[in-house]
Amino acid sequence: MIRLKDISKWYSNGSAKAHILRHIDIEINEGEFVSIMGPSGSGKSTLLHLMGMIDDPSEGEYFFEGESVFTLKEKQRSELYKKHIGFVFQAYHLIDELTVYENIETPLLYHKISSAERKAMVADILDRFQIVGKKDLFPEQLSGGQQQLVGIARAVITKPKLILADEPTGNLNSKQGEEIMDLFTRLNKEEGVTIIQVTHSEKNASYGSRTINLLDGKIAL
Amino acid sequence: MLRNYIKIAWRGFKKNKAFTFINVFGLAIGLTSCLLIALYLSNELSYDKHYKNADRIYQLNTVFVKDGKESPSATAAAPMAKTMQEVFPEIEQTTRLLQTFVDDKTLFQYNDKGTLKPFYENRGFLADSTFFDVFKYQFKEGNPLKALSEPNSLVISEEIATKIFGNESALDKVIHINSNTNGESDFKVTGVFLQGKKPSHINARFFMSMRGGAMEQLINRQSSDLITHNMFFTYFRLKPNASAKTLESKFPSFVNKYLGEALKKVGLGRKFTITPLTEIHLASGLKNTVTSPGSVTYLYILASIALFTLLIACINFMNLSTARSAKRSAEVGVRKVLGAEKLALVRQFLSESILMSLFAFGFALVVTRVLVPLFAQVSGREITFSFEQHYLLIIGFFIFSLIAGVVAGSYPAWYLSSLKPVKALKGKLSNTMAAVSVRKFLVVFQFVISVVLIVSSIVIYSQMHFMRSKDLGFQREQQVIVPLRTSLAKQIYEPLKNELKKETQIRSVGACYYYPGIMNPSDMNLYRSEETVNEAKNIFMNYVDDNLLQTLDIKPLAGRLFTTEFKADTNDRLVVNHKVIAELGFKNPQEAIGKTLNWDWQGQSMPFTIVGVVNDFNFEDLHNEIKPFAFRLVTDGYNYLIVHATAENIHSVLTSIERKWQKLNPAEPFEYSFLDADFAKNFQSEERLSSIVSYFTLIAILISCLGLFGLATYSAEQRIKEIGIRKVLGASISNIVLLLSKDFLKPVLIATIIAFPIAWYAMDKWLQDFAYRINIGWWMFIVAGLLAAVIALVTVSFQAIKAAITNPVNSLKTE
Repeated sequence: MIRLKDISKWYSNGSAKAHILRHIDIEINEGEFVSIMGPSGSGKSTLLHLMGMIDDPSEGEYFFEGESVFTLKEKQRSELYKKHIGFVFQAYHLIDELTVYENIETPLLYHKISSAERKAMVADILDRFQIVGKKDLFPEQLSGGQQQLVGIARAVITKPKLILADEPTGNLNSKQGEEIMDLFTRLNKEEGVTIIQVTHSEKNASYGSRTINLLDGKIAL
Repeated sequence: MLRNYIKIAWRGFKKNKAFTFINVFGLAIGLTSCLLIALYLSNELSYDKHYKNADRIYQLNTVFVKDGKESPSATAAAPMAKTMQEVFPEIEQTTRLLQTFVDDKTLFQYNDKGTLKPFYENRGFLADSTFFDVFKYQFKEGNPLKALSEPNSLVISEEIATKIFGNESALDKVIHINSNTNGESDFKVTGVFLQGKKPSHINARFFMSMRGGAMEQLINRQSSDLITHNMFFTYFRLKPNASAKTLESKFPSFVNKYLGEALKKVGLGRKFTITPLTEIHLASGLKNTVTSPGSVTYLYILASIALFTLLIACINFMNLSTARSAKRSAEVGVRKVLGAEKLALVRQFLSESILMSLFAFGFALVVTRVLVPLFAQVSGREITFSFEQHYLLIIGFFIFSLIAGVVAGSYPAWYLSSLKPVKALKGKLSNTMAAVSVRKFLVVFQFVISVVLIVSSIVIYSQMHFMRSKDLGFQREQQVIVPLRTSLAKQIYEPLKNELKKETQIRSVGACYYYPGIMNPSDMNLYRSEETVNEAKNIFMNYVDDNLLQTLDIKPLAGRLFTTEFKADTNDRLVVNHKVIAELGFKNPQEAIGKTLNWDWQGQSMPFTIVGVVNDFNFEDLHNEIKPFAFRLVTDGYNYLIVHATAENIHSVLTSIERKWQKLNPAEPFEYSFLDADFAKNFQSEERLSSIVSYFTLIAILISCLGLFGLATYSAEQRIKEIGIRKVLGASISNIVLLLSKDFLKPVLIATIIAFPIAWYAMDKWLQDFAYRINIGWWMFIVAGLLAAVIALVTVSFQAIKAAITNPVNSLKTE
């Protein structure tokens, strides 16, 4: 599903180059649950953003479902992204001005889905995530775990093949964290969604089928 | 989707109430100011446009030529209308209008079933029978075309009719009219007209027929004199296809043929011009039109103030929208990650700012509606505001608000929507150098406008103060003017004066035809007896009693004033001002005493002897240089009694005058005015400008401060972490306040420096209109600069202090 070939990324700092990623080669198949681990500054998040097509490398190639992502036009890439990828963030990144219901509905608006269909889809997800009672609340009225639940609901509502999660449990206590990880496992097992997560926790990494360790922008073996 | 945008926008507004308020309120004030001034401009520009055939009606102007100098006047000699109509085939109809120029008010007496009811009415005219043929008025009663054809006919406004006759028909009622201009006689009401809402340079409230009063004799006497008594407003209606240009080109040969000889005799020249009716108010360049003309300069001043206020408001709007948008970069990032395309985000931001500008528009409409009466009062014009009347203007402003919304929203919209989602999510790179310097530039620009306005306010105010307090060469305070309007009032002059003289709180009593500050219509061309009529100088004349000069406290330089001691003084003695001495070439005032001046009239020379020379005094308002002026002694016919009171308590003086007046003349209500107030009426339009400019200065400062306040709030928020760290490192509150304020003071100082030369140039130009004016002083700029700096500092430091006293624990926790 995902093939990264010789990916590097650096920032020019005067004459010196600050490398974030060096010569990364990764292949991830559909249905995998992969964890990316490594210390702070090892380039985990950047790698995730690259795979999520919201950041560009300095060099290298990226094939998603056999398509060369970096040679696609902006519009096509955006279509590809919209169709297949969902993001979950450590800081949840819900829109403060919108209710739970509206936050979950927002991606559907950008996917140009009709109003009746949207209603049905949001109702379905609220039901599945057991947050029907919270649908008219605003993010600030929810606990962190609940917010992250909404964040995931928002990410999966467009039925993506791939979910990218950037330290999804980083701001949660351990019980809330477990619930989130259970949810990811279910999504992976029952619906066949490919999941890639960045994490600091060995325990969370153990939910996955494979772990990639990063150190100083290189894959550590 | 749009509903979603509006919903988000609305919640955003509610969440950032202060911000939204500043933004909407600021723009609304700008729009309101602009709307009010637009109403004023449209009123000014619509004068006389509503008359039927307005494009064919012209006013005849006489240009007096003397020693190569031309002075144009909106009036002409009495027989000019008839003569020109006979000579020029282009003219279809003519009509003349004569102001009741010696009446401040005209006394109407109506005999209502045995009781004589008095009414004082102003704005009266004498008009030819053709007046309502040329100027179409709507009549409530009577036939416009016949209303003035009989002698002693009177056409009154609906307002006067209701006041005098209530609900009864006014037609055929007889009113006894006492006019200083037209004498005393009975007039029959032959028409009642409706005063329209549309502005006209003829603001009449009543019209007397030209025939039937004292003026008729003068007109008859002048029937072949095309040279003197140029006091009739003369209008032509040209034939449908006649060319005004052609008509004007025939005037020089007309002058030669009909006036040439007579002019040669008196050593004068003449020219004629015509002004289209619709240009009389603004573009005639004449000062003595029926109502005082509008000023194109003031229109420009007001229009630029309006535009600049609006510009400041728009800049704020843009500035604040941009500043606020930076806080929303995280939201943009999330939306992009959720699949939002650039265009969708652009649309979202644009709809937000458009929504905000439309709120401002609605708000402005309401506020304008509320403020129009007040504004009408300040501007001295009858201005109304309604959808039916001004729908074009309203639609224009609606479109403008939309555009303002789009422009203000477009920068943040394009900027934010093109952010890379990763950067946007971090929310750090949003404050680029370009955005900051654009905002600083906009702050500078705003303050340039504000400082220019502050300086202008100070200059205008100083000039107004100067005009109110300048030594005019006579005593203008504590002078009560008692108009003697009727023949009975004129008869009681002697006993009234004697009674008043006994009062201890009255210093002096005098009487005259005219007094300083009002129109002085009399003049004569006089020359030294050893010279010829070609050396004659035009000298204004006032006719006074033997105590007026003392009452006004006009000081003699040589010779003497008229006094009761010189019983032998007759009306061929003159007291002249210093200007006369200078113009006629006397070396000094002493030399002129006892000299004879001649006046040629109808082929005869009449001698006048100078008995006194007085200092120059401003008998006209301060726009004009002091001109040659002379007093002649007369024994009756005075129009005004002037009472110089000593008492601090002017009220008791007034009651005592009133008591004496009522004893001598019970049928006529006692009225009075004050000399200083009457004199001040001459700079009413400047007073209005002064108050309008100061209002708008306040508004401009207010809007600029709102903007500055918003930016300071934003800046304090942006730097909250920095402030926290600095405090942890030991910075004091004053250090922090200084840090935050410094950033905003610099643009204000730059603005001040840019504003000074602009303000100096504009105000210097404005002052040129006054013959007597103040000098623009350095202190005015210093005061304006300090004021701007203090206002900016107070605005900014409010936020800075708030940020500085925040506990750093709270601000550092935010990450």
